Amino acid sequence: MSKKALKVVVSVMLIAALIVSVFGLVQGNLTASASTQKTVKIKFLSNLPDRTSNQGKLEQMLIDSYMKANPNVKIEVEALQDEPYKQKFKVYVATNQMPDIFMVWGQPSFFLPVMKAGYAAEIKLDQIKDYGFKTSSLKDFMYNGKLYGLPRNTDFMVLYYNKGLFNKYKVKVPTTFDELLNAAKVFRKNGIAPIAINGKDKWILAILYQELVVKESGDQKLIYDAISKKSVAKNQILLKAAKDLVNLVNVGGFQDAFVAADYGAANNLFAQEKAAMYYMGSWEVGMAANPNFSESFKKNVDATYFPIISGGKGKKTDILAWHGGGYAVSASSKVKNEAMKLLLYMMHPTRWAKIGWQQGLVVPGQNWEKFMTGKETVLQKKLTQIFSSATSVSGTVWQDAFTPNFKTEAETLCQMLVAKAITPEKFLAKIEELAKLEVK
Amino acid sequence: MHRVLSDKRTILLLVLPGLLIYTFAILFPIILSVYLGMTDWSGIGRPNFIGLENFKKIIFTDTTFWKSLRNAILLALAYVFVQHPIALAFAIFIDKVGGRAEKIFRTIFFIPCVIPVVVTSRMWVSLYDPQYGLINKILDFLHLGFLKQQWLGDTKTALISVIIICMWQGFGWALLIYYAGLKGIPEELYEAARIDGATGVKLYTKITVPLLQPVIKVNFTIAIIYALKQMETVYLTTNGGPGDASQFLANYLYIRAFNSYQYGYANAISVLFVIACLAVNVLFQKIFKSENYEF
Repeated sequence: MSKKALKVVVSVMLIAALIVSVFGLVQGNLTASASTQKTVKIKFLSNLPDRTSNQGKLEQMLIDSYMKANPNVKIEVEALQDEPYKQKFKVYVATNQMPDIFMVWGQPSFFLPVMKAGYAAEIKLDQIKDYGFKTSSLKDFMYNGKLYGLPRNTDFMVLYYNKGLFNKYKVKVPTTFDELLNAAKVFRKNGIAPIAINGKDKWILAILYQELVVKESGDQKLIYDAISKKSVAKNQILLKAAKDLVNLVNVGGFQDAFVAADYGAANNLFAQEKAAMYYMGSWEVGMAANPNFSESFKKNVDATYFPIISGGKGKKTDILAWHGGGYAVSASSKVKNEAMKLLLYMMHPTRWAKIGWQQGLVVPGQNWEKFMTGKETVLQKKLTQIFSSATSVSGTVWQDAFTPNFKTEAETLCQMLVAKAITPEKFLAKIEELAKLEVK
Repeated sequence: MHRVLSDKRTILLLVLPGLLIYTFAILFPIILSVYLGMTDWSGIGRPNFIGLENFKKIIFTDTTFWKSLRNAILLALAYVFVQHPIALAFAIFIDKVGGRAEKIFRTIFFIPCVIPVVVTSRMWVSLYDPQYGLINKILDFLHLGFLKQQWLGDTKTALISVIIICMWQGFGWALLIYYAGLKGIPEELYEAARIDGATGVKLYTKITVPLLQPVIKVNFTIAIIYALKQMETVYLTTNGGPGDASQFLANYLYIRAFNSYQYGYANAISVLFVIACLAVNVLFQKIFKSENYEF
């Protein structure tokens, strides 16, 4: 090859290499910028800090599977306990930096101000028409006829109990309030805490008070009507229920210092088989499958209706039930569409409802009976039976049905009642005073 | 140099950063708090101006506010009349022990101060537990079962139980400040007093306590401010309960702002809170007017 020809070949090769590398560079840049554009970050605020059991596990599973199916989506989860959650949520609201998707309690005391101020994005009813939500379950997530959140659970109150302890001390599982008082006496005599309850958190005490009102009256609306009409103090049924609650305290029905016990403390007491009963909601269904609890406990845990009261008009099937926890998407989110897609993905009946139920993690807000396999835990079966046999349900509990301040004050008054800092009469007088100030 | 430093523009330039920080970090938030205290803002949406309504409500009808203030003052008194005499006695004891024991005791007493409040609070919740808590167990062991209590769960004992935790947590600081003060008193003064015939307790009442007065004043001021600001321990142990039996101002303010959605009302409490702190401190400074000893 002549010198000239060699020069030409080398030049052509160099030019070709240059073109290829420039083209490659451009291509690479294009790909990189395209992938940068596509990466979506979604901030997720949750009230489920335990990501290894119950609802927290389910939430994390669905988030992980969504990220796997959508590699360009990165979901950052911030999970806090209920009380810190409420405070952090408030800070986000005050600074107008709402997470893209967040947990909400579908209660007027929590979600109504949020919906009214326009912090939550609207969810079109068309988008969830096949999701199996009953209209009643969406009621407290709606404002002015528009939907702003989706409930994740069916919440209802039951009395969990430990079969082993009842057998050991030959105590009958209580079906009446008197039997409950007697059972409490026997367990106390044997050094077992009768009912574990988280009195420091206060809300549970207010719910228990409503339970007693319902069992006394057989009227789910009574407590709401009395407060709305501001005629509480002289209502004899409300007074009787307050006295029942104090009576239960007087016989030592709860663990010692229960007003200073938080959620974890009460739950541990029951799970460690040091308490015979546990008054709590259906969201504890996962106890029977929780790997952190002993086999003995899981074998013995069971649930029943809250007892009826002799002379009362309530039936055991009159239960306190509502759709509390759920999710909403921020109206000001920069990735609103992506966050909405994630919400709809998670709440699809084949995911939250089906997986959650079949793994024994939740009692879903959507119809779960079609997902029953026959392999359910005792608790799942019992809770299904209790809920499906309900003859009346309460809806949002009384302290959550009005303003946030009504909730705080009413719950504090309930705690004062059980701590015997006020009499049942004074308790009702104070609730009436509160209703006059807070309920329009 | 003097000319430069006496130039008004230079002074302004040097003062400006501090002034700006003070304005934006302290003055502006206080003014904003006063304004928000005159609104019914829930923290969501827009605030409505309602004048002095919140202040009137707090002063004339809010029993929990007054109870919280009373509890804070009780804690301050407990610091001053219980914690501090004990801390001073222990400081004198450690000072006298000397050698290795002095270092060991100093470390032991200071341990609670270096452990996070959340840890010590949880520890005390366990100690107070009526079922498995150490306190009731010890009472049982000493055949004093009749003294057993539901410490944090009873309206009669919750406040005193919280006060005990607070005193325990702050004991090391009080002790350390007294200890440092004691180290500053020259030994010659004691020697001279001994030559003059002073002995035992007299040495402390006539030399130690008078010479420690500036230290005592600082220590008391810190304790009173700390008592009024008390929040973490209350939140982590009783959250003010049962009812409002062990409620303190800062915790109450927090509940109003974050649980009741009454941001405006909480701001009004915070304004009154600042006024209460200032009033208590002014009062304290007047009571504690002392001569300055020099040595």
